[in-house]
Amino acid sequence: MKKLWIVLKYELKEYFSNKPFLIMTVALAILGAAAMFLPRFFDLSDFTGVQVTQREPETSTQGERELYLYLDEAGILEKEALTAVFPDADWQPVESREEMEALMSGGELSEAGLEETSRTETEDQDAAGQGRVPQAGFVITGETSYEYYVYNKSMNDGNMVMFDQVMGLLYRSRHCAEQGWNLEEIQAMYDVPISVTEQVLNKDSGENFWYCYVLVITVFVMITMYGQMIAVAVTNEKSNRAIEVLVTSTTPNSLLFGKVIAGAVGGVFQVGLILGALLCSYQWNRQIWGGQLDRFLHVPAEVLAAFAVFGLGGYLFYAFLYGAMGALVSKTEDVSKSVGGLMVAVMAVYFVSLIQLTNVDGPVIKVLSFLPFSSYSTMFARIAMGTVAPWEIILSAAILFASIMGVGVVGARIYRMGTLRYGNPIRLTSALKEIHRDK
Amino acid sequence: MILEIKDLHKSFGEKEVLHGISFQAESGRALGFLGRNGAGKTTTIRILMDVFHADRGEILLDGQKFVPQKYRIGYLPEERGLYPKRRVMDQMIFLASLRGISEKQARQNAKRWLERLEVEAYADKKLETLSKGNQQKVQLASTLVHDPQIVILDEPFSGLDPVNSQILKDVINELIAQDRMVLFSSHQMSYVEEFCDQIVIIHNGSVALKGELKQIKKEYGRNRLILAVEDLAPAQLAERIPGILEGTASVSAVKRDFVILELSEGEDMRRQTMRRLIDSGLSVELFGSYEPSLNDIFVARVGTENNQPQEGEDQ
Repeated sequence: MKKLWIVLKYELKEYFSNKPFLIMTVALAILGAAAMFLPRFFDLSDFTGVQVTQREPETSTQGERELYLYLDEAGILEKEALTAVFPDADWQPVESREEMEALMSGGELSEAGLEETSRTETEDQDAAGQGRVPQAGFVITGETSYEYYVYNKSMNDGNMVMFDQVMGLLYRSRHCAEQGWNLEEIQAMYDVPISVTEQVLNKDSGENFWYCYVLVITVFVMITMYGQMIAVAVTNEKSNRAIEVLVTSTTPNSLLFGKVIAGAVGGVFQVGLILGALLCSYQWNRQIWGGQLDRFLHVPAEVLAAFAVFGLGGYLFYAFLYGAMGALVSKTEDVSKSVGGLMVAVMAVYFVSLIQLTNVDGPVIKVLSFLPFSSYSTMFARIAMGTVAPWEIILSAAILFASIMGVGVVGARIYRMGTLRYGNPIRLTSALKEIHRDK
Repeated sequence: MILEIKDLHKSFGEKEVLHGISFQAESGRALGFLGRNGAGKTTTIRILMDVFHADRGEILLDGQKFVPQKYRIGYLPEERGLYPKRRVMDQMIFLASLRGISEKQARQNAKRWLERLEVEAYADKKLETLSKGNQQKVQLASTLVHDPQIVILDEPFSGLDPVNSQILKDVINELIAQDRMVLFSSHQMSYVEEFCDQIVIIHNGSVALKGELKQIKKEYGRNRLILAVEDLAPAQLAERIPGILEGTASVSAVKRDFVILELSEGEDMRRQTMRRLIDSGLSVELFGSYEPSLNDIFVARVGTENNQPQEGEDQ
């Protein structure tokens, strides 16, 4: 035990005297925390719904208003309908499709006719309203049909959806007028507001889904990233032959356990600090965010506790395996080959967990929540989003931690067997056979 | 202390690499542990250090089962290994602590050994920034930092220049004088001859030769003479020997400066050989008993067969 502590202390010193590690951790924590203060300095009210920064009431000048073109071949367009749907836009009629295309392409209409300029030059002249570039153009070809003109269509172009509303409004208005119906009454009947009071008696999966998702990803990243680091550290000791001296100075158990626990402490410190800074900072600024990030960052204490127990357990479980896999190869470039199988297992658990997040009380996730290689995410998800009895949590945690000890001991044996065998990578099956024979 | 290794057997997979190794070492003396690459030296040392378990055989210290954890053992492996990216002092303290020394004592010892080996200036440097020779000295200091009772040195002189070699020789002599048990493995036979009273030569996993070095040399020199004459090169002399010494001696080997003769079986062959040489009219320049070097003995015992190490194993 004393030697384990010596190894642990030495490895921890390595982590905490590693400047890039510390700088990255602190920088990410500060960045994460600072990001939560953004609404105090920038107007994010469109997203948060909360007005924090002082600003002048908006009065859109002509220069800020968007310009649209239209050609009403059907003779049905009413300016009121356009203004109702596009309140911050100016509309300019054109005589023909050619004129619309020319203006859309950057041409300017003058008394002398169309003057061709490049679209870029025209954009620069926008402020005075002269030479403003139209956003889009519409040619109304019938009561229920129109053509849409746009120069470059953006990913989130919503003009057609909005113009559909204009066309629908015009159609309904005409139809009601013909029938002698009151359009406003009909609209009020359709849009009657419904009042609802929600009473969630246990857990709100919709609410919990996202932070559960984030935390499952966090453990996955921790396992793969720090697991790989542990495997590389073990292989490095083989490749630089430090292991020759180490294995004659202490037991493989002390070496592997010390290394893995140090990796766990380093990982938990890094992720904990970053996550903690983010959560605390969000908690501090939650009102300003209007609770918009609750689904990611407002994690109940009991869920965080479950995450700590099962996340850490799963991390340790895999860390021992990564350490043992690192001992099977002699060169760091072979590490990825050695941990490949493990990586597949971790990814499979990750994807199954994410898929099953929408069915946390289903049989698949129930079974997986008791298996040590998957309980770190599945039992945690069940606790956060599903119905789970206390005995199930205790049993799953007991299986997980017993398995960690088992994997630790087997991992140390593989480590002992593998560390002094150089040359070609050792197959896991060969290693296990040899351990069995040496028992 | 007397360390007895008795009938060690060890297999890797289907292949047995040690076939009953037995020898003995004593404190206050150095044992030369020799063998070609892949002979089984490292495997034997690892069994001694409890890194591998022997399939059969036992190790005793003063008649009791040897438990390495109960003793302070300093092991300098042939494959040098420390952490290249960590500070010299940190890793020396770490290794000393692992071997049961308090951190305070470890720091003092580390300082003392670094000074003794003249590398104290590098205590706070990362190992990788040191020259190969200085890294070697740091490795040796790490081996001795916990004041071991048993010291196992595998090729300790490799990478050292003559000045540093002299420092190391002094250190080894001090260890022997301090009644430490020293197991010394090297392919540089001159060093082994310099320190070791006893030798064990392992060949293909078996002991090929063991005992007191003086006695072994005497045995190997028995019935052998060296001969050199004026005006004849050893090779020319070797051609004339059969005609002159027929029935009394034959040429065993031709060296750069002399010929080694093997006396024939029978009474008084040495005197008869001398008489025939005088009668032949040769102007004898050198005539006397042959004392073989350890190198000659080693080559004679294990130098004839090809013996490559098993793939994937560092025996």
